[in-house]
Amino acid sequence: MGKAMKDAPQGVLSRAAQLEMHLFMRLAREWDLRFETMYLTGALSKWYSSVGNEGFTVPAATAIEAGDALLTLHRDSGAILRYYLDPDALFPGLLEAPGFPLRKPTTADSHDLLYRLSCQMLGKADGFSGGVERSYHYGHLDEPNGLLHVGMISHLGAMIPVAAGAALGLKQRGTDRVAINFIGDGATSTGDFHEALNMAAVLKLPFILIIENNHYAFSTPTSQQFSCSHLVDRAVGYGIPGVRVNGNDPEESYVALSEAVARARRGDGPTLIEAVVGRLRGHSQGDDSFKQVPPALVEQYQREEPIVTYEATLLERGVCNQTYLDETQARIKSLLIETIDRAQAAPDPDPNHVRPIFADGDAPHA
Amino acid sequence: MLLMPKASTATEQKLYVDNISAALRDEMRADENVYFMGQDVAEFGGPFNITTGFLEEFGAARIFNTPISESGTVGIAVGSALLGRRPVVEMQFADFVSCGFNQLVNVAAKMYYRMEQPVPLVIRLPAGGGVGAGAFHSQNNEALFAHTPGLKIVAPATAEDAYLLLRAAIRDPNPVLYFEHKYLYRRQKGVTPTFPLGDTTASVTLEAKAAVRRPGADVTIVTYGWMVHRSLEAAETLAAEGIDCEVIDLRVLAPLDTQAILESVEKTSKAVVVHEATITCGIGAEVSALIAEHAIGYLDGPIKRVAYPDQPVPFHKSLEAAALPNPDKIAAAVRAAVEW
Repeated sequence: MGKAMKDAPQGVLSRAAQLEMHLFMRLAREWDLRFETMYLTGALSKWYSSVGNEGFTVPAATAIEAGDALLTLHRDSGAILRYYLDPDALFPGLLEAPGFPLRKPTTADSHDLLYRLSCQMLGKADGFSGGVERSYHYGHLDEPNGLLHVGMISHLGAMIPVAAGAALGLKQRGTDRVAINFIGDGATSTGDFHEALNMAAVLKLPFILIIENNHYAFSTPTSQQFSCSHLVDRAVGYGIPGVRVNGNDPEESYVALSEAVARARRGDGPTLIEAVVGRLRGHSQGDDSFKQVPPALVEQYQREEPIVTYEATLLERGVCNQTYLDETQARIKSLLIETIDRAQAAPDPDPNHVRPIFADGDAPHA
Repeated sequence: MLLMPKASTATEQKLYVDNISAALRDEMRADENVYFMGQDVAEFGGPFNITTGFLEEFGAARIFNTPISESGTVGIAVGSALLGRRPVVEMQFADFVSCGFNQLVNVAAKMYYRMEQPVPLVIRLPAGGGVGAGAFHSQNNEALFAHTPGLKIVAPATAEDAYLLLRAAIRDPNPVLYFEHKYLYRRQKGVTPTFPLGDTTASVTLEAKAAVRRPGADVTIVTYGWMVHRSLEAAETLAAEGIDCEVIDLRVLAPLDTQAILESVEKTSKAVVVHEATITCGIGAEVSALIAEHAIGYLDGPIKRVAYPDQPVPFHKSLEAAALPNPDKIAAAVRAAVEW
């Protein structure tokens, strides 16, 4: 951070914390852009983009630490990268000081995790699911290193009870660990949303549910999904706090998430958070759903998107200069290209290897 | 692990329902990771009094009521099982598990294949008819789940098995559906057997092992649950006619003990499959297909099925009795197989 300026930073975070937050936001963005490019060139059969969600996914995973549980959807690359990776291991010398000195990082090997994550996106044998599961539909439980990550199934909403169950498991152990879970605005219409939030409230679970409200469920706008003013209003019905944040603002998001995590650690129960962001991509790359977003809104969403606005803020505050931003971006790109290229060259899964369906290796009777 | 009851020094005859309670209590005592949740199970003890006194012994952290939220409850069980807890969930009636269907077939069942992470959980399902409870408190919906890879299914027919299979289900590192039959709750009695594994926290696989409840030479009857007893009754009638039936109690419906089925059919050359659940795509369809596929060379006649007609369970006892498989229907099917 030698190139960053020494002025006192504005905002709620220290200069070091702002730079660390930015580093992961930019990392998540470049990660997505790389796979989008691969999708466009035919190297990948399917891609769901997290572009535009970095402003709350990175802060959310910053607010938790090793030992807490993370349950993600397919728009949360920012949370996964933040939860898994140690910035000093990947970018030695880039950050002068730890931005979040009290945050307990994972002890897992960051380069190895980034490689395996890349393999997972490409369905390779070295991916977390060995190629049986697509992109973010996997989980990685490595408790000795503090990683308790469970990915989604495609039935949106179904992971909310599972996340509440992870919170229950952590509570039953007598720890102050918490579970956070992301869902989209669309999944708030499922029965599981209601059942899980209600039960989490009744059982006072250390659970934080973050609704990623990007105003569209696939192609259906929120006006056709619910009639309440704001999704966060539903928290009242469960007797829990609800906080609505500008999901493009990482500092506002971080403050809200940190308060929710602290509340959960105290044993005071769950919090519902609605992170409002813009829709910057279609449901998946390759479908036409993005056409449902009116051009004027697209323009507004692009203007408000988190990377552009946060970098402008950092420059304005004098936290860093353009050279730092350019060099950081270049280092990230270089690391990702090297790692993802290595994953692309890695072995495909062996079709002769059949994964067992039972934990004890029992085969189905036939 | 062999699940066969071993010689026990116990002599006191216990009800099937009391052995369910005893198995649950003994597993909760043996492993503090085991916890129990369901509707009305804590202070009230459940509609069948299976957990009466548990709250006092184990405390509110290990036995608690849930709201009427089957999906939420199963999902919570899955999430905690991923962290090494061993949840046991009571469906108040097996019929209501449909409200938790997605969590079972898409989340729990597929978790190990997707993540190679054990999900040790048990769903207790009070199932079955014969008690005048109508269409939504009488179902035998095990076949809905047998079609899903990744779920184990057990269905105890005896009081001894009610105990053994529940303890084994809780020890198993996979999702297990435990179908307990309400008609048998207070009609079947037996000792509380010695659990072969003892009171440890060991995670041990539940193996598919069928039991020969009556050895015989002429016809194989493959059945499970309540129908084991109705098949044994039919076998006694048929014995007087000179037809010697072998009655096989499957005990574990998924995975199936294919070997026990085929060995018996190879010996008798006749097969009748009996279950209380509706006939189409039932467990009997799978058993029949297995026999046809692997033992057709031994068969000396068609495989017969005796099962519930494809209809909901009616309320009035005369209507229900007419629809249920009974010893007469079973005997008729056996005669038809023998006389073919």
